[in-house]
Amino acid sequence: MVLYAFIKGIFKEALAKKILLTIFGFFTLIIVLIIFAITNSTVDGLQMMLESKSEGGLREAVMMLQSGIVSGIPMFMLVASMLIITASFVPDMLKKGHIDLILSKPISRTKIIFGQFLAGIILVFVSFLFLLGIIWLIVSLKTGYWNFSFLYSILWFTLIFAVLYSAVILIGILSRSSILTIIINLLLFFPITWLLYLANRYFESDQKGIVFGAVAEALLKFFYQILPKAWNLQDMCDAIITNNPVTNYQPLISSLLFMAVMLSVSIWYFNKKDY
Amino acid sequence: MNVIEINGVTKNFPAKRFSGEKIKALDNVSFSVGSGEIFGLLGPNGAGKTTLVKILLGITYSTAGKASLFDKPVTDVNIKRKVGYLPENHKFPNYLTGEQVIDYFGRLSGLRKGDLEKKTYKYLKIVGMDEWGTTKIKKYSKGMLQRLGLAQAMISNPDLIFLDEPTDGVDPIGRKEIRDVLLELKSQGKTIFLNSHLLSEIELICDRVAILNKGALIKEGSVEDITTSENKYVFLTSDLSDAIMNKLLVEHKSTVQGRNEFSCFVNGVEDVNKIIDYLRSSGILIHGVSREKNSLESMFINLIEQKN
Repeated sequence: MVLYAFIKGIFKEALAKKILLTIFGFFTLIIVLIIFAITNSTVDGLQMMLESKSEGGLREAVMMLQSGIVSGIPMFMLVASMLIITASFVPDMLKKGHIDLILSKPISRTKIIFGQFLAGIILVFVSFLFLLGIIWLIVSLKTGYWNFSFLYSILWFTLIFAVLYSAVILIGILSRSSILTIIINLLLFFPITWLLYLANRYFESDQKGIVFGAVAEALLKFFYQILPKAWNLQDMCDAIITNNPVTNYQPLISSLLFMAVMLSVSIWYFNKKDY
Repeated sequence: MNVIEINGVTKNFPAKRFSGEKIKALDNVSFSVGSGEIFGLLGPNGAGKTTLVKILLGITYSTAGKASLFDKPVTDVNIKRKVGYLPENHKFPNYLTGEQVIDYFGRLSGLRKGDLEKKTYKYLKIVGMDEWGTTKIKKYSKGMLQRLGLAQAMISNPDLIFLDEPTDGVDPIGRKEIRDVLLELKSQGKTIFLNSHLLSEIELICDRVAILNKGALIKEGSVEDITTSENKYVFLTSDLSDAIMNKLLVEHKSTVQGRNEFSCFVNGVEDVNKIIDYLRSSGILIHGVSREKNSLESMFINLIEQKN
């Protein structure tokens, strides 16, 4: 009942602030663009590029197309826009006169944080379901190849959002400022974790043009380990939708750990704070 | 049975970040509130009234001391099922309608859809807002928001209701209606804890009051006891002669109000009886003798001025 109230509350807020309208308007625009962009010649062109006209070639062409749709830049744009949209939820809840009312109700503070967290995730899941679900439908109808694995991208994108949203919750509680929450989280997402992702790939590769000092390398590796790995998660999502094996689950585990730590600190701080 | 128990509650707030200095918002406050009472908490701005209410609701934590509601510590979340609250300067999401506000906070109180549908209209009607239920609250006046806040505080039919400045911004007729609602709640056996600056209202409806000043409890008791002077008596008599008036002025430091009324300070009932004997022996008829009653406001101002 309480969780339902939070979810309903968040949807009402999103509706009233025209957030939902903006999301669905923007997503509809993307969908329309994709409808016009994907033609038979697009798929034919991809098949020619893959030098295969067989059914296997079509499958690969569709996967390549879908992989491009949910690659790094679109993923960043989608998740970042959702982080901006949801960044005000916690600071708004903490406004004087509103938080007093919520805390006077028979709900534990832990449940309030979980309620806010889940409500934000559900809002974003519904948005991604709308966008990526319809994209999948369009691509499948236009190409005749139904790659169900693409639907996992809805869950993966929601997961990437959830990991970063846990930091939004913490910064929102600490700062009570929507603007600060947006700035810090966007910086965390891009460029910080992106540069760490690139640095890690560089350290793992054989060809090294630039030599880092031992301390710098250790520091970069340390931050790479403790911060969320949205870009690695995107790689994993790409592997799953293209039916490739995922060889390394460490980014998923460490990102989930980051989320758990962010939520735990949020709950601890929120539980001890006077309002 | 006591609904609220406060024992030695102290609250310190940091004065400045990282300075280590503390501001004492509450200093060893103790009192209790019985079931079915309307209890008023008075005090000048910054006395610690809202802090105390927030401690009782688990919104703020006390630095020392114990507070309980219905014999359970205030940190017990489940106890809030029996509690309603209208904070001062509350902020409802302004994109909601009155009905949606009640629905949202009702659900947070643990009410189910069926229950809520019945109760929303009922409580909006009680506070005179039934015709405004479907209007967005950004169009409400301050008084209307207060009424809505009161409905929100009552929605879960709580046994104890905390109201922080409930009549703030409400017109005189609206204030009277809110007073009537509170008296109706009292008749149903509910306990009401009222924070208000409007002392005349507190005097009209409260059974007992406590006065806080600079975080310390300086007076507590029934409105009757607090507003009645312990050592000043008022005498109503037949016409007093100049000689008698002079004697009363000199010997008893009386204040004479016309020829038929005077008041004076006494040291116990023996003094009262001596004055009565003197008046009777002088052939004066006594129409009435009573302890002087002050308004809560004048008593409050005197008390705060003395303490400051």
